[in-house]
Amino acid sequence: MTPVVVSRNEKERVLIEPSINSLRVSIAIKQADDIERILCHKFMRFLMMRADNFIILRRKPVEGYNISFLITNFHTEQMYKHKLVDFVIHFMEEIDKEISEMKLAVNARARECALEYLKRF
Amino acid sequence: MILLEIHNRILEDTVSVKIRNALNGSKPESIDVTIADFDGVLFHLTNPDGDKTKIRISICLKFYKELQQHGADSLIKEEYGEFLMETPESGYNISILLDLEKLPEDWQPLVKKIGLLKRNCFASVFQKYFEIQEKGEESSSRAVIHYREDETMYIESKPDRVTVVFSTIFKDPDDVVIGKVFMQEFKEGKRGSQTAPQVLFSHKEPPLELHDTDARIGENIGYVTFVLFPRHTNKAARENTINLIHMFRDYLHYHIKCSKAYIHTRMRAKTSDFLKVLNRARPEQSNSKRVAGVSQRNTAIRALT
Amino acid sequence: MTEVFQFGVEPITCHAWNKERTKLALSLNDNEVNIYSRQPGTGDWVLEHTLSGHDLRVTGVDWAPNTNRIVTCSADRNAYVWCQDESGKWSPTLVLLRINRAATCVRWSPQENKFAVGSGARLISVCYFEQENNWWVSKHIKKPIRSTITTLDWHPNNILLAAGSSDFKVRIFSAWIKDIEPKPSATSWGAKMPLGQLMTEFSNSTGGGGWVHGVSFSCDGNRVCWVGHDSSVSVADASREMAKTQLKTPHLPFTAVTWISKNTLLAAGHGCCPMVYAVEDSGKLTFVSKLDVAQKKEASSLSAMRKFKSLDRTARTDSSDTTLATLHQNTITGIQILKGDKAGATSVSTCGSDSYLILWNFKDLPDTIADELLCHPITAWMAEPRTQSLEESIAELKLA
Repeated sequence: MTPVVVSRNEKERVLIEPSINSLRVSIAIKQADDIERILCHKFMRFLMMRADNFIILRRKPVEGYNISFLITNFHTEQMYKHKLVDFVIHFMEEIDKEISEMKLAVNARARECALEYLKRF
Repeated sequence: MILLEIHNRILEDTVSVKIRNALNGSKPESIDVTIADFDGVLFHLTNPDGDKTKIRISICLKFYKELQQHGADSLIKEEYGEFLMETPESGYNISILLDLEKLPEDWQPLVKKIGLLKRNCFASVFQKYFEIQEKGEESSSRAVIHYREDETMYIESKPDRVTVVFSTIFKDPDDVVIGKVFMQEFKEGKRGSQTAPQVLFSHKEPPLELHDTDARIGENIGYVTFVLFPRHTNKAARENTINLIHMFRDYLHYHIKCSKAYIHTRMRAKTSDFLKVLNRARPEQSNSKRVAGVSQRNTAIRALT
Repeated sequence: MTEVFQFGVEPITCHAWNKERTKLALSLNDNEVNIYSRQPGTGDWVLEHTLSGHDLRVTGVDWAPNTNRIVTCSADRNAYVWCQDESGKWSPTLVLLRINRAATCVRWSPQENKFAVGSGARLISVCYFEQENNWWVSKHIKKPIRSTITTLDWHPNNILLAAGSSDFKVRIFSAWIKDIEPKPSATSWGAKMPLGQLMTEFSNSTGGGGWVHGVSFSCDGNRVCWVGHDSSVSVADASREMAKTQLKTPHLPFTAVTWISKNTLLAAGHGCCPMVYAVEDSGKLTFVSKLDVAQKKEASSLSAMRKFKSLDRTARTDSSDTTLATLHQNTITGIQILKGDKAGATSVSTCGSDSYLILWNFKDLPDTIADELLCHPITAWMAEPRTQSLEESIAELKLA
């Protein structure tokens, strides 16, 4: 079937590729700057190293995207479909939040370090 | 524990224990300890010639020769005086000898001082340039200390200020990015603290002052410039400034590492969180036993557990 | 009364009934077919036989009512015809389908002298028994199929075959085996019927998309209906110059469809709820009612241990939204008529990926559904109050 791209803008988009017995959902995550880019890269690598646990996660994302899920007919047989949908949505909601929070944390730490250091002079 | 300690705690503790033992009158034991510190510094504690009542503390700095050019020897002599050995242990730059049988009354300050051995080695070069500045002169040459392999510190004094430039290498490309974030904050840090020196940061290329030197250029190199004004270099503030500035590189890298570790723990937590959400999609095996033809004959019984 | 049976956790891929509807053959997504018989007293299903012969997952099963033979097909590219001997033992006969891809579906013809197997090899094998050689031979229908055959249904005249495939087409073929059958008389679909003749072809959607999942001939054989992955329900009428009407529904795609009266359709699929559609004589399709009232389940209070276990496993204590409001908890994979026939069914069974088999009795639906059915002239027959026999009243009283 024809793949569908749902996008908020050039950087944030989801590619859904359906077929008769499987479905591939690829997500491109917002990366506004260098720090978000490395955080996203690190996080995705971290997740994909644990792809076995995630069952529906692919080890390699589709070209141009950051992460891909592959849901086969076996997965839908064993799992609740509506909850799988919930998971993908939850994932998309959380991932942006998590990356910006991590970025904030790094920034906050940097500020605190700089202040503390410079204060001593 | 935001700031790093400038003394070497292991060294200090080891020596303290030895001294306490000696003061308590217990039998002295032999010692042979090697301690590593930042910037590739090594300490070595031994009993010279197997004499258990004496402890020799030696330090090895790869760049001591460069420090010597800036009067490190005399500063060390001044600091440690009689305890300094004439000829340091072979392979080391400075050796200090403690005689456990002839300890001064207040041995604690001495131990503190020993702990600061590395800092004091560094101090000489700063001292020298601060002094030049204080006299209102301009340094004829720039001090170049290769404090680590591939990483260098430059010190130069002008009549109104002393500039200290660190070159530092980010091994991981990701560190560059995190490092930039930190440096940005250092740059802006002056706003938060009126007394702070001005900090400049340049990535890949050295700042203008170093253009005529062999300063390295590269993707993963960063240059940090501290501009120290007389309020930092005067005699009262000097020691404190040295304490802070000589640890700068280690401080920066320590916190970059900490940030990465923090990110890692967060990712781990989030991953297990995601897994739990995914688990919601999986029917619990336990309450759906494989029984052929378990009937629920009434539609009213909708709970199928 | 709607009855719900659970057969484990594995999906039921297909199910079939014997003539008396006392026995049930189903496959739990593995290489075996289980035959259950219903205990007269308790109404429970007891495993009677296991038909094991396939190497891979069984994809289709059909039970010939009159000759009491079961045909199974599987992803291992084989089909078996199972016959029961006097001792009740089922023994298989291998059918050479001559296909190089998995078989996907199988159907006995109405007269039970042949069956058709759809496959991923882009062909349909029509198999019949050859007396002289004492084996099943298969004839292929190949052209112009361009993708996997996903579903099949026989015309009541025992000759025509409707096939839905994943090239988005529904095709009507002739499956006349001239060796065993007399020349068929003309139908509204056409007069010339050599084997493999493409009588007509319908496209599920012109713009592409929408694999055909289920197809069904009406009782008179003049109409054919199908459901596709684009959530559509379609009907084509041969008596009205092959007029096709299609209804795009707002529901999740259907996987199975069957006629339950001359003008009524029952479709079910990913939405986990069977739905009734009415077909007017003009071909117009209208949604009438769901067979399942979505009921919000009340959250059962959890024990402390379950609560913490759930917290640990899924990071929440509330699991009320885990189960769906419908009876089926996962895709419905098949519909079979339990009582009656395509001209007028009173009870159907559905099986699903949730390992449930549900028996739906039209005469005993919840009032809200019955009202909805009554409101529509075409479906009113389903809900018309049945006069209760005396025996039944007594039985009910006893139960109470």
